[in-house]
Amino acid sequence: MEEMPEKIEIRQRFPEWREMLKPVKELEEGRTSYLSTPKQVDSEFFKMPFGDVERDLHDLKLPENWKELFLEAMKDTLEKNRAFKLFMDICVRCGACADKCHYYIGTGDPKNMPVGRAELIRSVYRRYFTPSGKIFGEWAGARELTEDVVKELYYYAYQCSLCRRCSLFCPYGIDTAEIVWWLRRILSRIGLNQRFMTISIEASARTGNHLGLLPGGMVGAIQQGLEELKDVTGFDLHTYINKKGADVLFVAPSADYFATPHWFVMLGYLLLFNELEEKYGLTITWSTYASEGGNFGTFHSYEAAQLLNSKIYKEAERLGVSFIIGGECGHMWRDKHQFINTMNNPPKNEEWKKFWENPDLGELAEGLRGIRFDSYASGEHGWIHILEFTAALIEHNKITIDKSRNDHWTATYHDPCNVARGMGMVEEPRYVLRNVMNKFYDMPEHTIKDKTYCCGAGGGMLADEIMDLRMRGVMPRMMAVRHVYKKYGVNILLTPCAIDKAQFPHALEYWKIPIEVGGPMEMVGNALVLTAFGEKPEDRQYDLRGEPLGGEEDVQ
Amino acid sequence: MIGVIFGVIVPYIAVAIFVAGVVYRFVNWANSAVPLKIPTTGGQQKSFPFIKRTIYDRFDSPYTWWETVGRMILEIFMFRSLLKNTRYYLDRASQKDARWLWLFAILFHYSLLLVLIRHSRFFLQPVPEFVEMLSEIEAFKGVFIPSVYISGLAIVAGLFLLWLRRIFLSRERTLSLPSDHFALILLLAITISGNIMRYFFKADLAAVKELLMNLMVFNVGKAAAIADSIEPIFYIHFALASFLLAYFPFSKLMHAGGVLFTPTRNMPNDNRAKRHINPWDSDPSVPILTKGITVSGMTFTSKKLDWDTYYSMYTDQLDEIAESDYKIVPEEL
Repeated sequence: MEEMPEKIEIRQRFPEWREMLKPVKELEEGRTSYLSTPKQVDSEFFKMPFGDVERDLHDLKLPENWKELFLEAMKDTLEKNRAFKLFMDICVRCGACADKCHYYIGTGDPKNMPVGRAELIRSVYRRYFTPSGKIFGEWAGARELTEDVVKELYYYAYQCSLCRRCSLFCPYGIDTAEIVWWLRRILSRIGLNQRFMTISIEASARTGNHLGLLPGGMVGAIQQGLEELKDVTGFDLHTYINKKGADVLFVAPSADYFATPHWFVMLGYLLLFNELEEKYGLTITWSTYASEGGNFGTFHSYEAAQLLNSKIYKEAERLGVSFIIGGECGHMWRDKHQFINTMNNPPKNEEWKKFWENPDLGELAEGLRGIRFDSYASGEHGWIHILEFTAALIEHNKITIDKSRNDHWTATYHDPCNVARGMGMVEEPRYVLRNVMNKFYDMPEHTIKDKTYCCGAGGGMLADEIMDLRMRGVMPRMMAVRHVYKKYGVNILLTPCAIDKAQFPHALEYWKIPIEVGGPMEMVGNALVLTAFGEKPEDRQYDLRGEPLGGEEDVQ
Repeated sequence: MIGVIFGVIVPYIAVAIFVAGVVYRFVNWANSAVPLKIPTTGGQQKSFPFIKRTIYDRFDSPYTWWETVGRMILEIFMFRSLLKNTRYYLDRASQKDARWLWLFAILFHYSLLLVLIRHSRFFLQPVPEFVEMLSEIEAFKGVFIPSVYISGLAIVAGLFLLWLRRIFLSRERTLSLPSDHFALILLLAITISGNIMRYFFKADLAAVKELLMNLMVFNVGKAAAIADSIEPIFYIHFALASFLLAYFPFSKLMHAGGVLFTPTRNMPNDNRAKRHINPWDSDPSVPILTKGITVSGMTFTSKKLDWDTYYSMYTDQLDEIAESDYKIVPEEL
């Protein structure tokens, strides 16, 4: 754990408008992301312009004609993305978004207001792309592009988690995520990239996953999961990997193979897959090539996102699967819901085409007939979220659930930003949780569903060097958690997002809320009765964390 | 002379700039590509039939074309997103939400709409029935003499309230640019001068109407003759309004049309049912980065990790997986 501030003070500052146009003098430690080194951005598999230069924020070592390149990249962006251009033009600075940003709430820095953040680049836009800015300069809110301004753009572009909460409240739907995402793309054209995310992007471009896990390592991790499950259930379970002819390809964020508490979710997946195969004959395979559901490229640029997510449809086609199930991850589902089938051509294999003509699970496994995907999905896309899938299994009584196995947990559910605001999956997880556990309580209405607060670490903000920013950004979420912790005695915070699961343990410790973190599929795994293996509801002695189940030693 | 300049020349120029400017901006926006389908979903997506969606979900996370239109209509006529606006309070329990911004915005925009409808009497002959009726209703005809148009006063109040926000609320003061104040001041000047003209220094409205009718049919000679006969007070109002028209396309006031273009609102959340094609990447069989991007005359190409490359890199490990028949089982201890 990196050093965390002992005490944070939120100092709100309200400078006058001229001050806002001047670049900040000091980049605060704890909020400044490191720049990428050639190792990440001059790699064979991920080559960015001018990535071969060692640079730091004291000496950006920009290419000689950087200004020209920056403006060229900006012009290109304005042509390539209507949203960016429109959002440069139509903001009226009403201030509705100002206090919607968790980073603004946590830091009080006026340039962290979504509108403040957008104005940083908007002022450059006005100076070089609008007549009023060219003529009236500062009085039209325009400013020159200088190296200090570039530094500032980098500093604030990497203090945004692309959570889109501001976009929800904006009367014109101005999406800061869109502005920042494309601003980061512009910055990458003059050689400025953030180290944390490019480490993962490069690894994923080279090995197929963010952790840089090689095929053997992935097999080893899953194998260890199966061994743990043997201890918990007593059954010899198995799973497939790279298997041609499987019905379904399963893709999870790579953190699930190793990290805690992601690990317990992974065990949940394995239990469900085994039950489905044993009972209905539905085969689900993992893949080492498409071993990453997450996509840090979506924090960087369209092109980087495409580079990473291009593997998955290819793998689906190679393996000849009928559709794809995706695991618990937040930004992954913005990528997989909104981006992937635009950035890539969907699979064209026979099995895929045939299944989507009549997308009824009964076509793959007779016992599952009745579960259909055509109410909202098609073969032009072909992804189903694991929680949607599980919700359908529960609704159609295809799996047996023993809710009481989760009685030692009192849970609340955190909506990952991208799942809530980039996809709209808010009821399915709740449907699943209400069906697999008895004690589930939502946080206050203004902090969940579409209005959910970010964990403060998404969008590439999970870097250790910006721990101060992360602990500040998570504050609104933590206040809501503390509310349900006090009111209902919640002892686990569930979230289907790998980044949340990495951030929340630190955040809960920092904000002194003594509860656990987990994912909904862990609860499903606990409650799932492996009837196909002859398991009885009362047979399970331990939960997936190895804690003894039931009995009087329950919470409190 | 004043009459000819401000009554004939200036309005013609202003309208020309307005029309050309607005058309240019619309075409300019429309010419930009929409690479991705990125609606901001504010409610439950369309999913399995057993996952119920409320009427709000259908508009906040629209799936069909009609639902998307509904969302846009709510956005434009109700300022729905602004209505969701809530302040952040550390101590939530003791605080109540207030939606002043929404109220002020509605007050101003609807007053503006009424005022504009009433002004159509200067451009239309005969004056449509509903314009007459609307004017009579909002003026509570017969209560005051002369009739007091509520919208004309409400618009001034709305503008002042919006301006006071920018002056007295610290956040809003910080992020207001001179152009934000300028737009409000300009609108205030127009509305106040209009009210003054109506209640205190009256202009000859019949002549004004004749002027405008002649301007509209490009009867310039006649218009110039009438223009000189109208009281100067009218030209304060008229010149300011002309200036507003000319200023409009270059300013943030373009949000009026821009809201129609916004991809986070005007696209349905049906990504998984209907594929969106990126116009500048319409056949994405090869990722752009592996084709290479050119910056400053240099091309940067990332090597593509296709299956064959991947296999050649990790052959041993992948062969081992193949030997175990692609199956993972717990290790025998």
